[in-house]
Amino acid sequence: MSFAFDHVSKRFGSVVAIDDVSMTFEPGLIYAIIGPNGAGKSTLVNMAAGSYPVSSGSILLNGRKLERLKKHQISRAGVARTYQNIRLFDQMTVLENLEVALAPAEMRHAWREVLVPIYAGQATARRRATCLRLLEEFGLADVAGVHAELLPYGRQRMLEIARALVAEPSVLLLDEPAAGLNSAETDALKLRLRRLRRPNRVMVVIEHDMDLVMSLSDRIFVLHHGALLFHGTPAEVQANREVQEAYLGTDDDLESIRELARHRRAERGLRDQAGAVRHQA
Amino acid sequence: MASALVAQSRSPVGRRLVGALALAAVLVLLLMVPHAGLYYVRLADDVLIYTLLGFGLNLVIGYAGLLDLGFVAFYAVGAYTYALLASPQFGIHLPFLVILPIGAALAACFGILLGIPVLPLRGDYLAIVTLGFGEIIRILLNNMDAVTGGPQGVMMIDAPRLADYALISPRSFYWLLLGLCAVIGVLVLRLENSILGKAWAAIREDQDAARGIGIDTVRVKLAAFAISASIGGLAGVIFASFQRYVSPESFTFNESILIVLIIVIGGVGNILGVITGAVALIVLPELLRGVAQYRMMAFGFTLAALIILRPQGLVPRSFGPVRLLRWLLAS
Amino acid sequence: MASLILQQLVNAATIGAIYALIALGYTMVYGVLRLINFVHSELFMLGAYFCYGLLALGIGGIGPAPAFGVTIAFFAVFALVGSVGVTIERVAYKPLRSATRLAPMLSALGLSLFFQSAVQLIAGPQPIQFPSIFPSARLTVGGAVFTTTQLLIVVLAVALMLLLATFVSRTRLGVLVRAVSESPRTSALLGIDVDRAISLIFFIGPGLGGLGGILYSSYYGIMYPTMGTIVGLKAFTAAILGGIGSIPGAMLGGFLLGFVEVVGTALLPVVSHGLLGTDYRDIFAFVVLVGVLIFRPTGLLGEQISEETMVYKRDY
Repeated sequence: MSFAFDHVSKRFGSVVAIDDVSMTFEPGLIYAIIGPNGAGKSTLVNMAAGSYPVSSGSILLNGRKLERLKKHQISRAGVARTYQNIRLFDQMTVLENLEVALAPAEMRHAWREVLVPIYAGQATARRRATCLRLLEEFGLADVAGVHAELLPYGRQRMLEIARALVAEPSVLLLDEPAAGLNSAETDALKLRLRRLRRPNRVMVVIEHDMDLVMSLSDRIFVLHHGALLFHGTPAEVQANREVQEAYLGTDDDLESIRELARHRRAERGLRDQAGAVRHQA
Repeated sequence: MASALVAQSRSPVGRRLVGALALAAVLVLLLMVPHAGLYYVRLADDVLIYTLLGFGLNLVIGYAGLLDLGFVAFYAVGAYTYALLASPQFGIHLPFLVILPIGAALAACFGILLGIPVLPLRGDYLAIVTLGFGEIIRILLNNMDAVTGGPQGVMMIDAPRLADYALISPRSFYWLLLGLCAVIGVLVLRLENSILGKAWAAIREDQDAARGIGIDTVRVKLAAFAISASIGGLAGVIFASFQRYVSPESFTFNESILIVLIIVIGGVGNILGVITGAVALIVLPELLRGVAQYRMMAFGFTLAALIILRPQGLVPRSFGPVRLLRWLLAS
Repeated sequence: MASLILQQLVNAATIGAIYALIALGYTMVYGVLRLINFVHSELFMLGAYFCYGLLALGIGGIGPAPAFGVTIAFFAVFALVGSVGVTIERVAYKPLRSATRLAPMLSALGLSLFFQSAVQLIAGPQPIQFPSIFPSARLTVGGAVFTTTQLLIVVLAVALMLLLATFVSRTRLGVLVRAVSESPRTSALLGIDVDRAISLIFFIGPGLGGLGGILYSSYYGIMYPTMGTIVGLKAFTAAILGGIGSIPGAMLGGFLLGFVEVVGTALLPVVSHGLLGTDYRDIFAFVVLVGVLIFRPTGLLGEQISEETMVYKRDY
């Protein structure tokens, strides 16, 4: 099982959002993609999921090119994703949100379901059982009959991840799953995500929460200005100078910040002189 | 008396009694209609035909969430199919039971043909294009004199024969329509509860997220279109065999609006809503015969007002027949 | 032969100008609210009826010359229909801004039906002869015969369109309208009164549509309560053809559609050897509509919808 970005680029008009990025993912591992805002992380996920067309390059799942496929075809191929801003089916119950994820697999038998009540009963029971099991794993079994919009934010996140897992995907793309979660919820998320490891599944997480990233992921890709800056284990990434500079700025940047601070202090000193001098500059 | 009933309905046993009585009353009413005057039978026939049409359009508007403003086109296809295959027009006289599936299938074909280019479009474009399609069908029917009889339409259409029995009177049609409504109603309900129905609900909620979990939205929407079109075609065949005369006048844009109204007023996405809407929109104007000329105005105003003030219609979506039965029988 | 072509060109320009004028109303409203204003076709019809009513009340007699009275009528109709437009927006669209996309369409449909039947009740369902408000002299140029009415219609329509274009690009209010059309949210963040701009759009768009109604009825000499439906559909097609949301697009689309319709209708009996007559005129617009929506939904001059804007939740 293999998943990879192969020299992928994305242009929006004259803006280069992704610049010749190549990444290989191995099953059984948890990957994180990090980078400052605007680095292009969500764009990568959107391309992998089929929301954006690729300008050049390929996205390969077991050697099969995904970039030309439609969104639902990519999903059926085994790529599941969650969204940065949660997109659940609000008016449907928690259970229904999962059941409907079984639709692609079961649609061809829809006729039998409609015309043969016995078959419908069996199919419905089977779906329910599968989905309830998943809900139990995510601690959502108690709210199975509740409308998704009524759930608290943290549980909605869990539901979205659960929904992505119903079809047993080979590639799981999570776009900022910890966004909006408090530290307790983030810890719970971390535990759950760890349990989702499978030998034939690739997990990719886009995140800003560095604690989560460092403690959860096996490998990290660092994006900066749409290009791959560095990749390695969490320890390697933390030690890498270029990554530090990307996040915090270079020495030159530090120097100009210090200069600016000096200038401001001088200004304030001058102002204090105009009135009564209260402090030493 | 009423207060006693209300008091009774507070206790579960009392409620079950009232509920059972109500159900029984409705059943008795349904059985009694053919024995009432001809006027009432014809009224009931009208209600039933529009209920059937409503079931069909409800699939598209209520379940899949698409605004089809040209539904009357499928109605027309069914009607003219029967008209041309069972009348002196071409000298063909196929039996009713043979034409019924043909009409439904042909309408479904038209539905698919219309759907394929049009369904990937956004909702507002879809509405306009379906509106145009409905009008085009009417213009074609009006102008292809050699085939469709033009504005004069097709006359002297055969009455349907079931075995040796010819259905001519409104009374016999009543039973046919009632039976058909029951069958189609059950079918539509089962569709709603099937995995296809869930897919429709997902598309209605968030089409993009639906695609994200692998639902082929175009195919699923096409299914809604095709099934709804075939129901419309079915109703058309019955209509033609009942009236024994068809002309383009019966298939105007206003008809499409009327059926949309039935669904919206009665309750979007709800079988009971369709029935309520059909009863409301057919029976009420009859009761208000005196102000008949204000009918269309009132319809238009009601539609707009309802959308603004109570968009879900009279019967909310979640209140289906199963829930009604449960509520009545207090189980 | 050349005279025939010239003749048809003039006919095409005339009807095209009218379509363009009405299409502007559709495109402006769509540009700002991403909504097809179904009622617009009825406002077009109301313009004709209002004008008739005003003339019947004697407005035409005001002033030194008939042209003066007619001009007053034009202004009055513009203001009247525009006001109706603003009212409709406030009452039937504004409350639905956060509802599903289906809701405003259904609301507009209801209002459309309401207006049609109201006019039918008040003025009767039969077609009424519309007075000729333009001097109608025949001109013969290069063998083609056309009337001054046609000429005046084209000139008037083009003048109005140019006026609108100038307003939108040169005046402050016009720039506000354009800003709101492009992005209501950003405009609101910048402190622009979005509601006021929307009201303005709903005043100008329908107002122009109403004037289009007058021109249409003067051209064909007739008006009837249901004239809005088909003409509205065609004008909408013109707006889509030119690129919905684009004002120059609506103008271009209108003339183009007029051309396709007139030329197509003239050629149809010839091409089909008399099998298909000129009654199929209305089908042309529909064919164009479906064609554009399938092959080039953004129209000729429409905005290239970038991929990001396409992934909306309520994007049916």
